[in-house]
Amino acid sequence: MASFTLTPVERGIMRCRHTGPFSHEQVQALAKFLEDYQGKLLVDLTGTTGDECARNIKQFRPMMPITAIFGTELDPSILDISESYYTHEVRYFETEAEALAWLRDQEE
Amino acid sequence: MNAQTAIDTFVKETGGWIASQLEACTRCGICAEACHFYQATGIPEYAPVWKIELLRRAYEQRFTMMGKVKLAMGFEKPITGEDLTTWSDLVYQACTVCNKCSMVCPMGIQLGPLIHDVRSGLAEAGVVPADLAEAVQKQVEEGSPLGVTDDVFEDRMEWVADEWEVDLPIDEAGAETLVVFSSIEIMKFPDNIAAIAEILNAAGEKWTLSSKGREVVNFGFYEGSHERTKLFLGRVLDAARELGVKKIVVTECGHAYDALRWTAANIMDVPDVEIMHISGLIGEYVGRGRIKLQQGAFENGTLTFHDACKIQRRGGHINEPRQVLNILAPTSFKEMTPNREASICCGGGGGVIAIKEADDLRYETFKLKLEQIEAVGADTVVMTCSNCRLQFLDSFKHYESKIKVMGLSEMVAEALVE
Repeated sequence: MASFTLTPVERGIMRCRHTGPFSHEQVQALAKFLEDYQGKLLVDLTGTTGDECARNIKQFRPMMPITAIFGTELDPSILDISESYYTHEVRYFETEAEALAWLRDQEE
Repeated sequence: MNAQTAIDTFVKETGGWIASQLEACTRCGICAEACHFYQATGIPEYAPVWKIELLRRAYEQRFTMMGKVKLAMGFEKPITGEDLTTWSDLVYQACTVCNKCSMVCPMGIQLGPLIHDVRSGLAEAGVVPADLAEAVQKQVEEGSPLGVTDDVFEDRMEWVADEWEVDLPIDEAGAETLVVFSSIEIMKFPDNIAAIAEILNAAGEKWTLSSKGREVVNFGFYEGSHERTKLFLGRVLDAARELGVKKIVVTECGHAYDALRWTAANIMDVPDVEIMHISGLIGEYVGRGRIKLQQGAFENGTLTFHDACKIQRRGGHINEPRQVLNILAPTSFKEMTPNREASICCGGGGGVIAIKEADDLRYETFKLKLEQIEAVGADTVVMTCSNCRLQFLDSFKHYESKIKVMGLSEMVAEALVE
């Protein structure tokens, strides 16, 4: 079973939906995607729990483009990062509507 | 801002070598044509010879009769605080210290090191772009300009080891080789870390990472501060001493390689260790048969290679990546023009990518590189520097280009044959 699916939301925004536990290969594939992807990201965690995905979210955080996360309770501290020229803003939202509205507002 | 501090630093640095370099310049302006910032914009102030103007003025006004007379008669101005601000923009934002200008100078003047000396005077006077100064301060206080603290390093290495299923030894007693990654690799390119680990393990290298000398990037060197360059170099060299290694391998950071390989020995005590770049080590492994690669493993599309200024032009690792690419992609690999030591910088080196204010200029200069890649029809560009890689990824995004970027180490790791 795929651990995540990628579907376009609209021009410049892709939805990354967490759908199951990550295998090593899937972690590597997502890392590669994050390196190559040129748009903004909507991370949908409705298929998981905050505890289950916390480690990967934390480790993927420095590699994320402008990203809005929603769908499960998440400890916001895992998104804290030392700001730098290579980092982008990543925020957690209670609902998909809020997440998408914020994402649409962000300039790349 | 203290103009006198900058002048004193310029004067202090001006020994026979700098004097001879400055005296040799005929103001022919050929260096301008080699500078990618000048080529991209046509702005005359971007000519390398103009970037060292403050150093020349300080030298002439202090040490030459003509300079003293010109100053006394009002034909030439003393260096002012306003000059420092102007030259700060020129040498930090419109120069990557790529040193291509030195290659074309008919008098053999080493313009890159002279521009670095201008940076040194500005750093002493505190006229460093705010973004760069902030990163330097982070490296002083947290041990990393990009947030690779003790905890982050430990966490991240554990994650890479686990998810990429590679051994990443840390502080391993008895290791012969200390491997130091750049912070950008640690934070942005975990696949590169795993790839390098796989290659070293496949070659049977007795290697280790160090929790103390955990990253090699040197923002003090970008800034031009001797004191902070030494401080950051010292962390890696002390780790090498404590571990008793025979070799330090710098992974994918050009400036860090320059600082550790050549600058360190001129400004501080360096232990008796060999200092290598990963691309040189890979070439050695392939040449000696310590690793074997699948012939033609990347034989699709068109690949080209970007020569990094500090690794290929300065470091001389021009042939090894080509030797590898000729195995991995014997017909797909095409050279862009210019290439090898004549290659132009990507525009993100020397700390420029860290300065937000320089973004527009950085993208403008990258356009030259983009045109060269497009001219050869490449769909993938391969490189050996993570700083260049970040510049390529960011600039491809800026120009909405679909050209792919690949690290040479990752290609090698993927093509390893048991």
